[in-house]
Amino acid sequence: MPPLTLALIAAISVFLLGNLCRVVKAMLMPVHLRWDLYPIPKGPRDRQRYGGSYFEETEWWTKPIDTGLGGEVAFMLKEVFLLRGVFENFRALWVWSLLLHWGLYVYMVSAATAVAVSALGAHLVFERTLLLNAAFAECVDACTLGGIGSLGLLATRIFNSRLKGFTTRATVFNLSLLAAIFGTGLIALFHPNRGMLIALAEIVAGRHATGAYSSATVCHFALVAFFLVYFPFTHMTHMYMKYFTWHGVRWDDLPARFDEGGRRAIAKNLARRVFWRAPHIHEAADQSWAAVVSSSGQLGKTEHD
Amino acid sequence: MIKIEDIARPADRLTEIVPERMVPLPPPYDGVDALPPRKRLTDRARANCDCSLDGFLAVGMTRPKTEEEEQQLIKRFIAGLDRLLSPDDNWAFLQQLTLSLDHCARCQTCVEACPIYTASGRNEVYRPTFRSELFRRIVNKYAKRGGKLLAKLKGEDIEVNATTILRLLESAYRCTLCRRCAQACPMGVDNALLTREIRKLFSMELSIAPKELHENGSVMQLRVGSSTGLKPRVVKDTIEFLDDEIREQTGLNIHTPWDKPGADVLLIHNAGEINAWPENPMAFAIILEAAGISWTMSSDLAGYDSVNYGLWYDDAQFARVAVRQVQAAKKLGVKKIVLGECGHAHKASMVTADRLLPKDLDIPRESSMTFLRDIVLSGRLKLDPARNAFPVTLHDPCNMVRMMGIVKPQRDILKAICPQFREMAPHGVENYCCGGGSGFAVMSAFNFEDWRFLVAGRTKLKQILEAFEDCPDPETKKYVCAPCSNCKGQFRDLFNYYGVWKKSGILYGGLVELIVNAMTDLQKPYIKWEFH
Repeated sequence: MPPLTLALIAAISVFLLGNLCRVVKAMLMPVHLRWDLYPIPKGPRDRQRYGGSYFEETEWWTKPIDTGLGGEVAFMLKEVFLLRGVFENFRALWVWSLLLHWGLYVYMVSAATAVAVSALGAHLVFERTLLLNAAFAECVDACTLGGIGSLGLLATRIFNSRLKGFTTRATVFNLSLLAAIFGTGLIALFHPNRGMLIALAEIVAGRHATGAYSSATVCHFALVAFFLVYFPFTHMTHMYMKYFTWHGVRWDDLPARFDEGGRRAIAKNLARRVFWRAPHIHEAADQSWAAVVSSSGQLGKTEHD
Repeated sequence: MIKIEDIARPADRLTEIVPERMVPLPPPYDGVDALPPRKRLTDRARANCDCSLDGFLAVGMTRPKTEEEEQQLIKRFIAGLDRLLSPDDNWAFLQQLTLSLDHCARCQTCVEACPIYTASGRNEVYRPTFRSELFRRIVNKYAKRGGKLLAKLKGEDIEVNATTILRLLESAYRCTLCRRCAQACPMGVDNALLTREIRKLFSMELSIAPKELHENGSVMQLRVGSSTGLKPRVVKDTIEFLDDEIREQTGLNIHTPWDKPGADVLLIHNAGEINAWPENPMAFAIILEAAGISWTMSSDLAGYDSVNYGLWYDDAQFARVAVRQVQAAKKLGVKKIVLGECGHAHKASMVTADRLLPKDLDIPRESSMTFLRDIVLSGRLKLDPARNAFPVTLHDPCNMVRMMGIVKPQRDILKAICPQFREMAPHGVENYCCGGGSGFAVMSAFNFEDWRFLVAGRTKLKQILEAFEDCPDPETKKYVCAPCSNCKGQFRDLFNYYGVWKKSGILYGGLVELIVNAMTDLQKPYIKWEFH
């Protein structure tokens, strides 16, 4: 197998495995106590509008609880595709961030289109040409949007007074890496003979010859491979970890009386040992959480009469 | 500009509060000369504690005196970091903690949402991400594999020494846990949660917490029954005295029921009301009797005090109090618990303790806002809104509103009984904290009160004054409805500090007082326009 194909397959494997590990790790965390934050996009629409909850209902525990995901999905689509939160709270950052994010989304679409080209039979010349042209247009858009976005973000991070004290080496590195990926992508796309997308289609099909592509193309794929390996170890995983931060924490408002599984999981947690060392925690060594909760700490007898 | 790594560097003071740089208040509060003189730290406090964060002390932890003591402190602090990341010790908040540690993009989108940071004139030390990023770097370096090397490579190297630890502790008490910043974060990161976890580490590992929250708070509550120190016999006597007061003031003959088995409702007040604002429990009694509710109060341990200070700093103390409160209800066999006007008690009992309680202790718990809304709108009380013909605005307690979504019931009541009701901007789930949140309202050691009034409460005060800008004259009496005991405590002290009653004629009080004031059964107005 050609080395570039091998490198990309290895990178994609690490990417998938790394991200899977992060998701599994988050899913295997102990069931936690509730930490709701409103507005939560559940319940009747007029209530959602002002951020109300089921606690506003008379004897709420006798009423059905909305567990539908429609509101959450609608909210998240706005967050993912329009960056609603940044738009509302930091407009100067939003423009560049939106360009970068859309660059990434469109890049993924163009890569998927190029992969589809490789899957087509050799005789489907018209379809191949059509798809390649579409992929080319998408990729030009992606690299332009992403390139401008990442450079704009980099400049904002360095020069904006609100940001500069908190711009870390890692942030500069991440944005430079993305700018390099989009920049090399753009150069590679316009290579006169064998454009980057044809290269991708060939690489996926395992048909390219080493040294046949421009150095920009090779450089681009090397950077993409590095990015794929690097990504699961960065905060950029917020792309999908938002599921946990939003759905799993701040929107997780299901009362225990409607969640027997959750209650059982908490009961198991209460059997865990407590190792905190402050004197008020333990009355005896090696206590479980249940024992700690039923004790009063090292307080002796209560004075309650 | 102060950098995060400066936290470990010795300096007399990392930052200081300069009133001229802060967000200006409208006249007549715009002059700094009229402010009361700042409280000076005692020589003893200066000698023993580290006030180098900003010149204020909230906790006042004693500085280690020897190199050996410092090493011991560092060792225990790092052990505490490990416990925070352990599923055994921190199952209750581990997921929230790791998500907030690992997924911050350092985009600073959240910072302008913080009323403390903005009010301070954007002081870096109060930036909500300053504390979080400092803590994140410490955790990454000292509690994760390869942390020291990575910290150097990433340029995020923070040295943990006694100065860092003491400043981090004080810094954890410069945030009211209002979670406005969390609302603004596009990643779902929660700086307030990180702040609470720092407080927890200090309390649960190092046994360090503000005296008002721990020794005089949750420890007192678990020992005698209430954080006020009121024992059952005393609290019963006090309520009996208040029943007499009701008789004298209104002619109504009310006997507050105690420990009545099988009552429909167990009403639990923040016991601070009984001492500081007795008109509030009195008003509750008048309403419940007039509406014909079967209700009771409990004299069991923690059954007559809804506060749960552990919510702000310690999981064990939180769980102990939460369980004892529902045990009191279980013992009486009531149908439901109604929580009085106390925001954090609402959240502690109805949300945070929800999954903690075993099924047999899961007694339904309801907000007094909803409960009162149903009584008022049902027509069971004869109410005349004309009796409340004065400007009224509503303060939204963060715990009840932003963290529970109880927004409309209190507004339905006010719209029905207060013809001059007006909203603050912003309000509802986007409200500003009173500045007394997360225990600050009861914390007054050292010189912390000055910080609480100058910085923490500034945005709220500005917002209240703006809500009444059409009637600034002190002769026009105005009312801030604050259905939360801690918020009222903050307003009492804040208004007193700035002379708000004298200069603007603004009084604060609860919701039930307004309801009773509108009751036509009463001959005289219930609200006495006296500041206390």
